[in-house]
Amino acid sequence: MRSLTLFAAYLSSIFTTAVADSNLSTPLSSHQILPDNFKPPEVFKNANLLRNINLEKGYVRETVNVVIENIDANEQDTYYIPFKAEAIGNVGGLEVKDKKDPEKPAFRSEVVEYDPYSPTQFYRVTLPVPLAPSAQQTLAISYHVLSALAPLPAAINQQDKQYLHYTFSTYWPSAYLTEKQKTKVKFSTADVPGFTAEPLREGKTFTYGPFEKTPAGVEQEASVRYESTRPVIHATLLERDIEISQWGGNLATEERYWLTNKGAHLSGHFSRVEWARTQHYNPPTSALRMLTLPLQVGSLNPYFTDDIGNVSTSRFRSNIREANLELKPRYPLFGGWNYSFKVGWDASLGGFLRKLKNGDGYVLRVPFLEGPKMSEGISYEKVDLRVILPEGAT
Amino acid sequence: MAVEVLEPFLKGDTGRNTRGLLRLIILCTIAAAAVASRLFSVILDPWFNFRATKYLVQNGFYSFWDWFDDREASHPVAQLVYEPRKPAEEPKRTRTWHPLGRVTGGTLYPGLMVTSGIIYHVLRFLSMPVDIRNICVLLAPGFSGLTAFASYLITSEMTTSPSAGLLAAIFMGITPGYISRSVAGSYDNEAIAIFLLVFTFFLWIKSVKNGSAMWGALTALFYGYMVSAWGGYVFITNLLPLHTFVLICMGRYSPRLYVSYSTWFALGTLASMQVPFVGFLPIRSSDHMSALGVFGLLQLVAFVEFIRQQVPNKQFQTLLRGLIFVVFVVSMGVLVLLTVSGVIAPWSGRFYSLWDTGYAKIHIPIIASVSEHQPTAWPAFFFDLNLMIWLFPAGVYMCFQQLKDEHVFVVIYAVLASYFAGVMVRLMLTLTPVVCIAAALAISSILDTYLVAENPIPKETQANGQATSDSIKSAADVIKDSLRSTRNPVLGIYSYVSKASVVGAVTTYLLLFVLHCTWVTSNAYSSPSVVLASKLPDGSQHIIDDYREAYYWLRQNTPDKAKIMSWWDYGYQIGGMADRPTLVDNNTWNNTHIATVGKAMSSREEVSYPILRQHDVDYVLVVFGGLLGYSGDDINKFLWMVRISEGIWPDEINERNYFTARGEYRVDDEATPTMRNSLMYKMSYYNYNALFPAGQAQDRVRGSKLPAEGPQLSTLEEAFTSENWIIRIYKVKDLDNVGRDHGSAVAFDKGNKKKKTAKRRGARVLRVE
Repeated sequence: MRSLTLFAAYLSSIFTTAVADSNLSTPLSSHQILPDNFKPPEVFKNANLLRNINLEKGYVRETVNVVIENIDANEQDTYYIPFKAEAIGNVGGLEVKDKKDPEKPAFRSEVVEYDPYSPTQFYRVTLPVPLAPSAQQTLAISYHVLSALAPLPAAINQQDKQYLHYTFSTYWPSAYLTEKQKTKVKFSTADVPGFTAEPLREGKTFTYGPFEKTPAGVEQEASVRYESTRPVIHATLLERDIEISQWGGNLATEERYWLTNKGAHLSGHFSRVEWARTQHYNPPTSALRMLTLPLQVGSLNPYFTDDIGNVSTSRFRSNIREANLELKPRYPLFGGWNYSFKVGWDASLGGFLRKLKNGDGYVLRVPFLEGPKMSEGISYEKVDLRVILPEGAT
Repeated sequence: MAVEVLEPFLKGDTGRNTRGLLRLIILCTIAAAAVASRLFSVILDPWFNFRATKYLVQNGFYSFWDWFDDREASHPVAQLVYEPRKPAEEPKRTRTWHPLGRVTGGTLYPGLMVTSGIIYHVLRFLSMPVDIRNICVLLAPGFSGLTAFASYLITSEMTTSPSAGLLAAIFMGITPGYISRSVAGSYDNEAIAIFLLVFTFFLWIKSVKNGSAMWGALTALFYGYMVSAWGGYVFITNLLPLHTFVLICMGRYSPRLYVSYSTWFALGTLASMQVPFVGFLPIRSSDHMSALGVFGLLQLVAFVEFIRQQVPNKQFQTLLRGLIFVVFVVSMGVLVLLTVSGVIAPWSGRFYSLWDTGYAKIHIPIIASVSEHQPTAWPAFFFDLNLMIWLFPAGVYMCFQQLKDEHVFVVIYAVLASYFAGVMVRLMLTLTPVVCIAAALAISSILDTYLVAENPIPKETQANGQATSDSIKSAADVIKDSLRSTRNPVLGIYSYVSKASVVGAVTTYLLLFVLHCTWVTSNAYSSPSVVLASKLPDGSQHIIDDYREAYYWLRQNTPDKAKIMSWWDYGYQIGGMADRPTLVDNNTWNNTHIATVGKAMSSREEVSYPILRQHDVDYVLVVFGGLLGYSGDDINKFLWMVRISEGIWPDEINERNYFTARGEYRVDDEATPTMRNSLMYKMSYYNYNALFPAGQAQDRVRGSKLPAEGPQLSTLEEAFTSENWIIRIYKVKDLDNVGRDHGSAVAFDKGNKKKKTAKRRGARVLRVE
């Protein structure tokens, strides 16, 4: 048998990614253990900082554009981003890029661990090119904060508007002195009945600041309560299997979701009369009614089942430009309700696998996530991806 | 000519091989057709059997035997193939018959689960890891292929015509009467039982023909398998002795019969006693006594026969018959005596209801309440068997013509099964095989007579030959001949016109039969009870999936230990699909417990609430078809609940109170107060009139207009209603925080406390706990 070498061999073992790594007790091997009394050296200052908090989806997305300046005498290449210990487990997808050159791959960034009981934990960013003394560089830092939104009130009636509550610091928590900073918060509607810390209101956007000369580690708490009558979809677990069959020339994907709606619970009980009555004019609701999965063009044979069999309420629209799989759960998913299901589909292997020019190996290129594309967004607590190679692959 | 080319293949030794090969190919095609016609839609239905199979596969045979269904997976669970890898799942605690529990291992027929378990392990051994669910789904179609093969074998024993067996096989393969219980996903005992039934009969006939202990032992073996698989084994237990008895009475006793019956009875009874659910029934219950009696009789007959051989006597035959009669009467007397004195259990209720169709309704309403136990309506025979229903008598008549031992068997089987099928819809299943056999005999003799291309040539030599069904003789020869076997006038067919027309007509009938089978199967029998399929105006299929919607909601959004109360019909489905404990389920072993549920459903809220509290009920589930016009709902089953609970509490529940003065069962304005205050009525119609303009609420099943004001519920609150309102789930309220009863609490919330409480004082106040 010809041996198969896969370039993406690191995918072959079952591994768990930390989209939101909630179990810091089992550190990845790349974690650096730092001494207990660690404090980032004051070698940088943030010359100018603009922070955008996007609250349009069911999770928080923050983008920070910061001009950093080396104030040390030597070249520096290590930049620390602090988070609160209770929050760092909910931070996911942290990515640091050069703002001037966004085409370049993201900088190396990782969680460093020292004292697990310390109230502050750090992400460490390593600049590819050390920054010369008093030189400046613009970083684009972006990350998600999951499980930070809470419905307030926590229980509403079936047709009521849903309000979410978010608490944050108007200053970006930085390990360095910040000369000048500004925080913008963006909502999906202009209905924001509750807020603190006197922002400047412009329609759907709030602006805090600008603030001058904020020292390292200083925070000013602010909170907003805003309307978001949309489901807060959260996948407690996603298991994703990608099975390669070179015999059949087939790439079979199967995803198993455990969804929950983290929105406001129903204060009474579910009323079918009311639900049926409002279905005609399709009002905004905090219940999840439908999921849309944009599959790769050319996907075939989709199926949608759950623990007790086929779910008949799905529709697959496939043509040469798109392949959309529309799934309707068996029942509308109100706040606090769960739904677990399984979807799968086939695709021709040709589009994903290519042979290496030298040697016997193959390269597989598949997306890490192909989840439902929802305007309200979907957050994953844990994703378990498994690539099943053909029998006898090495 | 084509015939000349084919000549060497169809005659002589090569011909036999060719024909054998052809027959094999045809049989395989038939089996494939049988499997394929069962795959119209695949939904796993009796979830209890599936759950039990899963338990068996996970925990092994011995713990399955001892399975007391109070908690599932108390043993370490082996990971099944392709099960979700959800980590750290706590052992599920699933109870049925809360709070009693059920000794599952000892109260079920394990044959089905063991069969799938063995298939599962064999496939795994062959390194073909298959999900146990797939095995369960495809077991019934797979076995239907085997059933077709078994009916080929048994029919081939009846006649020398080579085509009869093949016809019987295809009839068996596609007849709706059998498909109804063996579509893919219908994972029930009948799935394998019908194959075992037919195959046991085949082995029995084989053993009677050959007088061989080996065939007798094989019969016993498959009889044992049948006992482990289906309660209908009693049919075999009584049919084989009856066959033997009739043969003896016809003076056809032979050592062959002695050997085969004794072997079967001894080994078969031992085998059947190995099943815990059956246990000592074969020697204690009256249902099995005929087998024992005939066994004793056979010994006597054998003894007498032995004496007769030693002492030749012309009058012996008369003496023998007298003796048989006396012994029979005496043994019946002893049997009755033992039954009366209680040593032998009396006939089971289900058995009585076979003879008196009104019996069950009066004495055991729980049996009568099952729609499958109702007498069959006559169109059902034509619906399930189509053209075979009129070929059937012809086939039985042909058996009378030959009347060898095996034909006697078919005749007896036909008579008994026809009667039983008329009494209970469910027993149509036992009638189907014999109808297929008889119809195949009839059709094959028509085809064998008319499908001969050459004209019959009167031959002197043929007249002396055996009377095969296709031998053709001229009338002159027959008259001359005085042999009994050739006395029947056999007429040849000379005209091509009549040949063509008869063959054409038969072919048309057969094609119509196939059409009918396909139509019935795809329309009537392929939509499992949990899914209702309908067609939209544009022809596309619309599936009403309310049952699974509600069950899945329960599964995902209620606490793991929430107890669900519903009528027993839905017990297995809730246990399987919703994975929640139930009070009663389809294994109706405890009538009182079912009556308790019936009482809770049919009483006033004030009476029901304590019952619900005492049984830890968290949710109550009712089925309501009023919006959709789904007639199998709980209001239509309601009278059975009333009757069953009246059997236990005659002074609290009275069926008469649910009928109007004129004896009508109504749900509209004229419904009796008892009816309108019953929990079932309230749960069915609660909030229903909100769907309609005021005063326009309509029940589409009963076809009646509902009262303008809907019922009020105070002790329950609506938790979930499925899309088409078929399933309604109510949550049982907790006790009131300030100790009021729920009626006044609700009245207080509505603000009309004064009037109501003054009135309530006088009424009977029921203290809760």
